[in-house]
Amino acid sequence: MPYPILDPTGTTETAARAPRAPRRRNLRGVTVGLLVNTKQNAAPFLDEVGRLLIAEHGATGTMARTKVNFAAPAPDDLVKEMTTSCDVIITGIGDCGSCSASAVADGIAFEVAGLPAAAICSDAFRVTADAMAELRGAPGYRYATTPHPVAVLTPDQVKQRAAQVLDDVMSLLTEPE
Amino acid sequence: MTTTPDPEEAQAAIEYCYAQGWSDGLPLVPASQPLVEAFLATTSRSPDDVIGELEQVGRNCTVYLAAVNAAMAGCLPEYFPVVLAAFDALMRERAARGGGWQSTSGPAPMIVVNGPVRHELGFNTQGGAFGPGFRPNATVARAIGLIVRNAFGIRPHVLEQATQGLPGRWSICLAENEEESPWPPFAIDGGQPAGVSAVSATLLRTCEFVDNRHTPDPEQILWDVADTISRTGSLIFRDTSAGVVFCPEHAQMLAEAGFAKADVQAWLIEHCGRTGADLRRAGKNGLRGIARFADADSSEDGTFTRILPSPRHVPIVVAGARNAAISMVVRVFGEWSGTAVEVGT
Repeated sequence: MPYPILDPTGTTETAARAPRAPRRRNLRGVTVGLLVNTKQNAAPFLDEVGRLLIAEHGATGTMARTKVNFAAPAPDDLVKEMTTSCDVIITGIGDCGSCSASAVADGIAFEVAGLPAAAICSDAFRVTADAMAELRGAPGYRYATTPHPVAVLTPDQVKQRAAQVLDDVMSLLTEPE
Repeated sequence: MTTTPDPEEAQAAIEYCYAQGWSDGLPLVPASQPLVEAFLATTSRSPDDVIGELEQVGRNCTVYLAAVNAAMAGCLPEYFPVVLAAFDALMRERAARGGGWQSTSGPAPMIVVNGPVRHELGFNTQGGAFGPGFRPNATVARAIGLIVRNAFGIRPHVLEQATQGLPGRWSICLAENEEESPWPPFAIDGGQPAGVSAVSATLLRTCEFVDNRHTPDPEQILWDVADTISRTGSLIFRDTSAGVVFCPEHAQMLAEAGFAKADVQAWLIEHCGRTGADLRRAGKNGLRGIARFADADSSEDGTFTRILPSPRHVPIVVAGARNAAISMVVRVFGEWSGTAVEVGT
């Protein structure tokens, strides 16, 4: 009997299925957590999404936090702090190899913590974002995309993009009756 | 009568490995339990020891998985301690523990081997230092690539998002030409004592040659190197890091003129950089945090900005043949940890 050819990957187990947080009917009166990953234009983009959720959908306020290491998932204490203070979460902008994946990982972490989340990624990074969702036990996890590139946009263009993605963000965060 | 292996069996085994998605594109050596056991016998480390972890993807690499991948890469068992030292050295790089393997820049590990192990295992220490042709150099570097692909699960187009990548991503393993270097071995810069076999590693964004064989003036060599280091295309943050792999001829010319390695580093730190006008022309004059961006402000046009913050950002190695005055600028991704790892037993 010949020897089997050995597997170099070491993987056997599949990730436990990650729960999805219950959706809200609307965003009236909520605090929107903005998890900014330091990529160019991420802060003004998320700020504008937050502003529009207040102006057009009745959110009460925003709380912005910055994730220093864009390549890694948000640290547990940051997730805990935002979960305590916020009702829904926006993460982004996934605009690079590692940060797109980790923006989605962050979204899933907040779902597990019980908060509806909307990750926003550049559309050039769909495959890597989907792969991360699968790794985190949330295959098919939905997130919002904005056309690539994001980093070169002017402040006015960033605002337009935020406005364009708003409907998708709303449909990710809410489930109207 | 001599017997040769059955080529059809070998081909079937190679195709099996391709079909599993394990290959970097080239044929793999199918790993069997006896072969992997021969690798594990070269180290006192336990097969279950975790030698690297990539938190964001929830994967790690054990000594056992490293052995399987090194075997598949075509290493001989006796190379395995060098693979382990190289991987340890790489895991000391912040970029390699973070998002580096997934990055759009697609960085390549540069592995530098020092000490007696170079000759004991038959590493190429001479001409074609960056080129192919030598089993230890080629397969140790390839083993790292297979570990990233298989143990960490970072595959091209999926979790690996290199825009263009770079040539020879999994093939840069230099054995320093200590015999023709006028300076102490690179491993000493990494904190190892003289005479020890040790491996250093960092990640590179590219390698750029500096061909300068017609001047007897060592400072002209350094100006030529500085021009390559200072090119704006590579500047994306406030600081940069660029090493130089000097050919023996350049290194000896510098040493004869009185330049110790530290003097070369100090010279490059002083002279590498661009004026504000150059940076503004390329849209890289502004700083937001540590990232460069296009700022309309021209008030700094006349200011010369230095880009190399410390000697650790200018690692210097000597490699290649003494047959021409051609050196290589190696563009470091992030920054070198500044440490070398002893080849263990």
